[in-house]
Amino acid sequence: MMDSGFDRRDFLKVMGWSGAAVALSGCGNTSIEDGKETVAPYVEAADYVIPGIGVYYNSSCAQCDAGCSINGRVREGRVLKLEGNPASAINNGRMCGLGQAGVQHHYNPDRVREPLLRNGDKGETITWDKAYELIAEKLSSVDGEEIAFVSGGVSGHLKVLLGNYLSSFGCKNHFVYEALAPGVVRAANKKSYGVEMPRYNIDKAKVVLSFGADFLGSWISPVHFSQQYAQFRKGTNGQRGTLIQVESKMTLTGANADRWVHLRPGTEGILALGIINALGTAKGDIAAAVAGYDRAFVSKETGVPPGQIDKIAALLKLRSPSLVLAGSAAEGYAHGSQNAEAINLLNYVLGNIGKTIEAAAAIPFPQMAPAKGNTAALKTLNDGLAAGKYKVLFNYAANPVFTAPGAMKFKGNMAKADFKVVFAHYFDETALQADLVLPLDSALEDWGTHVPEYMVEGAQINIQQPLMEKIHANTRGMGDILLALLKQRQADEYKNYEDYYAYLRAAMLQNKAALGGVDADDDTFWNETLMNGIVKLEGEATALSGKPNVAGLKLPTLMENDEEYPLHLIPSVNISLRDGRHSNQPWLQESPDPLTTIVWDSWVEIHPKKAAELHISEGDIVEITSKTGSIKTQAYLFPGIHPEAISIPIGQGHEALGRYAKGYGANPFEIMDAIFDEETGELAMHETRVKISKTGQKVIVVKDESAAGAKQIREKIAGRVSTDEVDLSKEV
Amino acid sequence: MHRFLRISILLTGLLAAVNIFAAESSQLVPMTEDSLGPLVEQPIEFPHDRHAGDADKGGMEINCMYCHTYARRSAVAGIPPLQKCIGCHQSIESVRETPRIKKLFEYWDAKKAIPWKKVHDLPDFVRFTHQRHIKRFNEQLNRPIQEVCGYCHGNVKEMTVARRSKALSMGWCASCHEKDHPVTAEGGTPIDGQAYWYGFQKPESSGEVLKAKGPNDCWHCHK
Repeated sequence: MMDSGFDRRDFLKVMGWSGAAVALSGCGNTSIEDGKETVAPYVEAADYVIPGIGVYYNSSCAQCDAGCSINGRVREGRVLKLEGNPASAINNGRMCGLGQAGVQHHYNPDRVREPLLRNGDKGETITWDKAYELIAEKLSSVDGEEIAFVSGGVSGHLKVLLGNYLSSFGCKNHFVYEALAPGVVRAANKKSYGVEMPRYNIDKAKVVLSFGADFLGSWISPVHFSQQYAQFRKGTNGQRGTLIQVESKMTLTGANADRWVHLRPGTEGILALGIINALGTAKGDIAAAVAGYDRAFVSKETGVPPGQIDKIAALLKLRSPSLVLAGSAAEGYAHGSQNAEAINLLNYVLGNIGKTIEAAAAIPFPQMAPAKGNTAALKTLNDGLAAGKYKVLFNYAANPVFTAPGAMKFKGNMAKADFKVVFAHYFDETALQADLVLPLDSALEDWGTHVPEYMVEGAQINIQQPLMEKIHANTRGMGDILLALLKQRQADEYKNYEDYYAYLRAAMLQNKAALGGVDADDDTFWNETLMNGIVKLEGEATALSGKPNVAGLKLPTLMENDEEYPLHLIPSVNISLRDGRHSNQPWLQESPDPLTTIVWDSWVEIHPKKAAELHISEGDIVEITSKTGSIKTQAYLFPGIHPEAISIPIGQGHEALGRYAKGYGANPFEIMDAIFDEETGELAMHETRVKISKTGQKVIVVKDESAAGAKQIREKIAGRVSTDEVDLSKEV
Repeated sequence: MHRFLRISILLTGLLAAVNIFAAESSQLVPMTEDSLGPLVEQPIEFPHDRHAGDADKGGMEINCMYCHTYARRSAVAGIPPLQKCIGCHQSIESVRETPRIKKLFEYWDAKKAIPWKKVHDLPDFVRFTHQRHIKRFNEQLNRPIQEVCGYCHGNVKEMTVARRSKALSMGWCASCHEKDHPVTAEGGTPIDGQAYWYGFQKPESSGEVLKAKGPNDCWHCHK
């Protein structure tokens, strides 16, 4: 008992009363303070503007290249929410989480707001006129061949303007670089089918056999494929479609499959040929080519049990048409092209060509078709930079300093260019290396036209229009910038276009008849185009051609074990972070990864058996080392991965890109070796070998799933014991 | 005995602390139904009495919804665009040189919005819609518009700048929503065919005026 001071019980009583008193006096009846906030009315209001009521505009999603059309709700001049535009055949009014986060790209607090010129380590604010003058000055002192322009995938009128600008000073060095573009699959398709991107009819297939194509998550046009998949699952004539996914690391699509087959990384092509062999229906040179791929051999190479191969072959034989897809997991090797072609060959043997694989329509304006490119383009640029070939470098819609494989040493090579101009929304890793940073309008503030690579129904041009006024006064649209730069060189030709909007309008009206507005007057046509957000075209028919490449197929057998670096590194593509350009959108950071449920961080997936061998448990910070470098991240035990492989998601590990991206996780690009596909020269992303070691640190993995996590598999959700087996004496 | 003293000291101290805290916050006392909000100083002292007041008191009896035109169309009543003020005032020469109108034209010439201070506001977790209230009381029950607006805004036609004169608290809203209101006219005819809104069933014609409560489910306001 205390001698003086307060009894604990009394103290609590008093505290209770005072708490109530605070509640009564402090909170009042409403939480609103009169006369503190302002309400600013319009000076002049348009007739259709009613405060509190939304106005809807159609535009195009710019979060990935799939080309979904969006419909944005705008209230009091602010865009609040995006939904899919039902008129688009690609997304039919649907939208993915990545697209939804587009508003966070627009309202992001870390956007670049002023043109900045490097002055030592700092950026000095300059005017746009000064910036344009500076570019003209730099260009006048170099040769056209000494200028390089690296961009992400561009299409539509922007691509036309960009081409015109580059040819105005005789520059042919336009490098299109999309880090995760299916470059190898395109090339293999071109060989096997005669077109780079055919139309896949998942909904018409009875069996889909996918070799690492994550078509529900991140592959080519996931929103469209998800809808096809729903139809495929409903089935035709009451028969539900069956999905078999073959891959070394489970993707979202793999998690949805009826049969998930894991195989040794890089042996996808061998398994495809093994299935052709097991089918036994091939004739002539194909039969000869697969003769050596019998059950025993294929099983030894791939690690897939012979019974499994027989079952897949039997199912494919039983149900036709089927569809076989070659995805990013199959293409990511030095023999990636061979893998993809072997998989495409399977479609021939199964007779799927023309049924579930059809020719897509091509856009009748080839100059607007999307410019495509992958790491092969970046390699050419990088080699040129290393050799000091380029004096002036432009960069738009790509972040090569972040996404170039570490072995390329792109950052160091970029420094060799004298003058680097980066058109940027944010200070990403590439913008930080620039001499001149020019701030861009967000996708919701800018005008544009886009042509999707993957066409669904006929051809289409997507219209992008501003959903609201600019947030920052001094940002500009890429089209406006190119137009201003073009006026420096060819003032006469472009003098009629006050801005990019005027250019777009004039260009569209010029082709009014071809765009389906034969009878409409200009204003009607233009207004309807903006209202619809899409111009649908019949498109030019293309035909599937090409002979299956049989004779040239060379698939390497069992790769020898690397003693020093025993594990395959599989850089996985996260459904929302993709190549990392959107990692600064907190909605995407906080959306749990669909398979591991981890948020706001990187992780390395290790098979539980392998982890036990290495004495690694969940949350151990491990160091992953390749020939190129090493990164550290937390370990996550995951049964959906081949024991000889580990997987790290792409997109995290930013050293820049603002408060929501910088400092979270690790970047697997940093440790990627420069190994390329032998045929196309594209980066073999899955070819890097690594070793893994514990650092001794341990963290709690932040994830949505329960502590049991992946261990749930093969265990009962709640253990049950029948009553006669219960020993009551032990229970009480 | 000492114990009692000790508690008193503790209580006094804490109450003093609470009072200091409370004195700093703006709303000290729970509001009664008609307790007035603070007088808010506005960029222009707008005379509601002059515009909407009765003719015999020098007012012009302008309909509230002539300026607050969004009230019947939207959740918010809206402050009229500056354009609307100018629309009339550019041809009213008699007051053109008065200080308030001069200030008004200064904003107009600069094409700047007048930063009015909010007088009536609700927390973000409350969804109140003007449209439904106007529709119900003004259009269906044919109550005069000044009376309908006055249910919540008080007698604005006698104010210069508006001052909050109702509590606008949940209890105050509920006090009206819990009352029985006539939903049929004389003879039991449903008013505007919508009389069964609140009871979720159409009233049987009994010849009497039927009454029902206003909507009072939580989700009507807390969506």
